[in-house]
Amino acid sequence: MFAARCIGVSLAVFLLLYVALSLAVSWGWKLIRGMVRPRSSRDSADLLFALRVLPLALSLIVTLGFMLPSFLLLEPRSTNEAIGSAPLALGLCCLMLLGAGIARGVIAQRKASRALVKWLDGSIPMASQIVESGGAVPIFRTGNDAPTLTVAGVCAPKVLVSEAAFAMLNPPELRTALRHEVAHALRYDNLKKLVFRFSVFPAMADLEHAWSEETEMAADDAAVSSYRDALDLAAALIKISRLGPMEPSGELTMALLHSSTALSARVHRLVAWNKAQKPLNSGRWVYGVSAATAAAIGVVTTYGALLNQMHAVTEWLVR
Amino acid sequence: MKRIFNLLRRSRSTQLGPLEQQLLLALWMRGSATVREMLDAGDIKLAYTTVMTTLDRLYKKELLNRVAEGRAFRYSPRYTQEELEKAAVGDTIRQLLGSGEAASLPLSYLVEAVSEHDARLLDDLQRLLDQKRRELRGRLRGEFSAKEKR
Repeated sequence: MFAARCIGVSLAVFLLLYVALSLAVSWGWKLIRGMVRPRSSRDSADLLFALRVLPLALSLIVTLGFMLPSFLLLEPRSTNEAIGSAPLALGLCCLMLLGAGIARGVIAQRKASRALVKWLDGSIPMASQIVESGGAVPIFRTGNDAPTLTVAGVCAPKVLVSEAAFAMLNPPELRTALRHEVAHALRYDNLKKLVFRFSVFPAMADLEHAWSEETEMAADDAAVSSYRDALDLAAALIKISRLGPMEPSGELTMALLHSSTALSARVHRLVAWNKAQKPLNSGRWVYGVSAATAAAIGVVTTYGALLNQMHAVTEWLVR
Repeated sequence: MKRIFNLLRRSRSTQLGPLEQQLLLALWMRGSATVREMLDAGDIKLAYTTVMTTLDRLYKKELLNRVAEGRAFRYSPRYTQEELEKAAVGDTIRQLLGSGEAASLPLSYLVEAVSEHDARLLDDLQRLLDQKRRELRGRLRGEFSAKEKR
């Protein structure tokens, strides 16, 4: 009974936290982005990703780091208390939510793997040196049944270039387009998409769409180091979109082009490119590490009191 | 802005008259207001009761929210301009698709119109790009000749 109660209460706490945080993020992300005012598309994409995964991450941390230890240490094992209807109902809802997330993630991953195997069939590996920064990312020349230009694969992303793209783009255009895709691969954007699938919450669609747009802009920024590059990438975008109607991008892939509205905005942004907008490694991670260290010290010094408070909350939930 | 109201005019459920449009615009700009505040702002030169009735009509059309404030109501837009535009476009497309016996006919017109729009958009973007490329070439040529002279 103790174990069942522990599991029920843990799942209930996780669900309550997850839903509350998800609602807060889905309502407040625009406000937060407005307040933080990220300096580049990369910062903006990182912020949106952090906000998207915050409910899942924080709920897991609180449940596993605080709720579970507080229950195990402070709850008397001898009592023969029942689970209680509220923790039981919430726990079942939580199991359904987690199950839905796992199912979505597994299905997406399977679809992506199957598509990648199909696209790679008969493909030819290319020299990655074609792109200066792309030594770590394999590039494959595929047939025309594969997407024109895309990054596929979650943990080991690969860049796929179709014959049509080769025929359509001149060497400088192809190089910048490949750099764009390599940027997606190096930032593991497909893996981030997979994390979104696991973390189910319907009201997050707008945030995910905004992240997707910012990620494209961030990859554009990474691909371009001069005005000439910017014009080459813009030309590649226009040429690729002339190849045919916009196809829905495959599961867990990052295509060069994913919507016609984004195309116009991206081309205008690229033709207005100037060196000053190139993001620099501003050392912002120092602030992040400092904040994390301060938070860790705070938690360590007050851990006992936090466990007591957490236990009081769970007692209230069980009653 | 006119585009939203044109779309709303076509949408059966939310047809708006000129006065309703004017008041909705004023509320979008102010965020929220009572009838008295709207009249005191000076942009609207109408009788108190006219504004009150019109705002009530917009509330009944579910375009405004209201909360009691003393003996009056404070009105605020239920939707942002963007949300309303999205809803109006959706409504118009639904009407379009439901207009003929065979929904495929208006759908094919729609696809054709979107394709034409896309092609025009791409042509415009290509022209812009060509112009920027010419400017870049001109600038590089200028820089090269300046170096030569030196």
